[in-house]
Amino acid sequence: MLVKVNSIANRGIQTFGVDVEINVSSRGLPGLEIVGLPDKSVDESSDRVKTAFQNCGLKVPGRKVMINLAPADVHKEGSFYDLPIAVGLICVILNVKVPDKALFFGELSFDGSLRHTKGSFLLALYAKESGYDKVFVPAQCVKEASSVKGISVYGVDTLDSIIKHLMGQKPISPFLDTAPLESSQDFDKFQGDDNLDMSEIIGQEYAKRALEICAAGGHNLIMVGPPGSGKTMMAKALVSVLPELNDEESIEVTKIYSLVGKIPPDCGLFKKRPFRSPHHTISYAGMIGGGNIPMPGEITLAHRGVLFMDEFSEFTRSVLESLRQPLESGKITISRSRYSVDFPSKFMLVASSNPCPCGHYGDPRKECTCSERKIRSYQAKLSGPILDRIDLHVNVMPVDRNKLFNGSFGEKETSKDILNRVLKAREIQIKRLGNENIFFNCEMSNSQVEKYCKLKEDSKRLLIQATERFGLSARTHFKLMKVARTIADIDGADNIDVNHIAEAVQYRSKIFL
Amino acid sequence: MEGEVNISDFSYPKLLKEIPSPPKKIYFKGNYCPEIFRNCLAVVGSRRMSIYGVKVIEKIFSVLSREISVVSGFMSGVDAESHKQAIRFGLKTIAVMPCGIDYIHPESQADLYENILKNKGLILSEFPGNFKPKTWTYPKRNRIVAGLSRAVLVIEASEKSGSLITARMANCYGREVFVVPGSIFSNLSKGKIQISNEFATNIDSGFYINSFFGFKTGDIKCESGREGKRSPGNNKILEILKNSPMTIDELSEYFSVDIPKLNAELTLLSVSGLVSESEGKFYACQS
Repeated sequence: MLVKVNSIANRGIQTFGVDVEINVSSRGLPGLEIVGLPDKSVDESSDRVKTAFQNCGLKVPGRKVMINLAPADVHKEGSFYDLPIAVGLICVILNVKVPDKALFFGELSFDGSLRHTKGSFLLALYAKESGYDKVFVPAQCVKEASSVKGISVYGVDTLDSIIKHLMGQKPISPFLDTAPLESSQDFDKFQGDDNLDMSEIIGQEYAKRALEICAAGGHNLIMVGPPGSGKTMMAKALVSVLPELNDEESIEVTKIYSLVGKIPPDCGLFKKRPFRSPHHTISYAGMIGGGNIPMPGEITLAHRGVLFMDEFSEFTRSVLESLRQPLESGKITISRSRYSVDFPSKFMLVASSNPCPCGHYGDPRKECTCSERKIRSYQAKLSGPILDRIDLHVNVMPVDRNKLFNGSFGEKETSKDILNRVLKAREIQIKRLGNENIFFNCEMSNSQVEKYCKLKEDSKRLLIQATERFGLSARTHFKLMKVARTIADIDGADNIDVNHIAEAVQYRSKIFL
Repeated sequence: MEGEVNISDFSYPKLLKEIPSPPKKIYFKGNYCPEIFRNCLAVVGSRRMSIYGVKVIEKIFSVLSREISVVSGFMSGVDAESHKQAIRFGLKTIAVMPCGIDYIHPESQADLYENILKNKGLILSEFPGNFKPKTWTYPKRNRIVAGLSRAVLVIEASEKSGSLITARMANCYGREVFVVPGSIFSNLSKGKIQISNEFATNIDSGFYINSFFGFKTGDIKCESGREGKRSPGNNKILEILKNSPMTIDELSEYFSVDIPKLNAELTLLSVSGLVSESEGKFYACQS
């Protein structure tokens, strides 16, 4: 007897349908076997299903049971084939019909309950795109899957409840989302948010302004300064002036986090921008993604959010150089001999670094003890192509101790004030760039820069003068125009004028020797 | 022009011949002529220079008589800055290399090498060809720097530095040593205090050097012209930066101007070459 249950498989963030075919034959030695290029986690599914069945008082037929995952030429991985296999077997044993237009997904525990399984958001998205109207997922994944509107999500908590559902004894009712999904508080906890407010930063007005510009236009930033000057603190405070993800972005981000299983139980869509700060010992594959079956790395996890690289010059050279292509194109292609996958990686790079190995070059409080050659080789690591791709370069100087102790928190601008300006600037950008299918100034291509960043004669003259004086590259030239556009947007100005260009040039300050 | 000069040759620099162990042969590139050796001032200092050092060189060089040639060792820091500023203020300059005449060391200063040659400067060395610098070639180079010059000017020097060696050598050869005072909080002042207690003369202006070389301060016509050029009059930011270098945040607090406005202003000033930035601080350029 043959039944067919529908499920999915993932390759990168691409999802495609998989038919789980279950055949119980009257001939052959008893046993349960899976074919269709399963990996170890899929193969072990048979043992989990068998044990769970026993513990629920069901008996796997003492016959030869063959399970095929079609298409058979694609590698399958993951533990979520447990539920489709179990459902198929139940249908065979109890002789009931497999529900129409339904996808099954979930990992079984030995006691017959269903565990939280990664990827249910991708499943729900696929269901919607491909015309399935029901998805069955573990109860803990209901919220995640139901953040895709227009399909019915059934939360299955035990094997027992799905049996009763299939037999029509006690149907599971589709999950109805009563609480609005906007409440993303659970996520904040999960993301380990420090909730730093801009007003807590004393002094550093120049760097704060740079953060505001970054937040408004999605630009990349590098901060260089001696230890203890507040670089890390400022990077963390940046999160507080970033607007929430819009619907489209939110889906993109949730997809990625669903794929890697970083959405905790009972959580829905991502609303907050991700903030990733990998340690500098991170491997090349950890940064850009990789593995036998490619999984996203930090740059993809930071998609639509912030990738904070503290101690930028301590990262290995291969990791730093690997950032080049994703910084330009907003995606990373990971190629394997059989196939390649694309992961999105439109992140905002915020880097911080000391100016020299001892950290005190240019520090007014302490003399630097490094030799000139040491400083040069330290800085050479960052030079050229990678710095060229960072829009804003900022020198951060330590704040006067007296000011730290006497600093008053009250009169400073709070994150909320800054966020309001950022939001306004972003609104203007979306209005302008809406037709181009991009959101921010930083995403503009060179031709779009020509189109949207028209300069008047005097501004053009200044830009050319600055390019000559500071020896800037052609890429920098365009970057400057984008930053100037953002500054004008914060100002609410239609045209870029001299002051905007002039301010933009200041953020290409010489950060090194 | 390229070539070599033997100690027996008539064109061998006379002052250099006077030192205890003059090089038997010197190799040169560029403008080798008797005039360039007539009034040599050696400028020495640390490889790691502060903004203060840059400002000192600018201020002193801006009033020097054009008859004076600036001799230095083509290292990074004070040496390189001296060559650069000498070219900028129309002074002749001689770079004495610690390596073979055809070898550019440090490599990163290839532009400066070309610039010196282009601006009627001279590259000198006692080593031929592509001989690489060794630890022992630096002090040997220093004796030529001191030997060529009638006076040595120490810009910045820490306690144990090559600059002090050059200054002491010059003193032994009977040459004048000038030193510029520095902050007592800086390591780069320690060496200067030592030598000024022993033999060096403290100065705070290029006029002292001019009069040492026998140029009356009044003789230097160009100087007032140089000083006044491009001065914007009453730019407040520029005035304050002339006294001490400041970061943007300090300026913003001092003038209570918000950052965007200040940023724009500073860009305009630096594009027109009136201020420069180094180590996060802005300072006014001598113009």
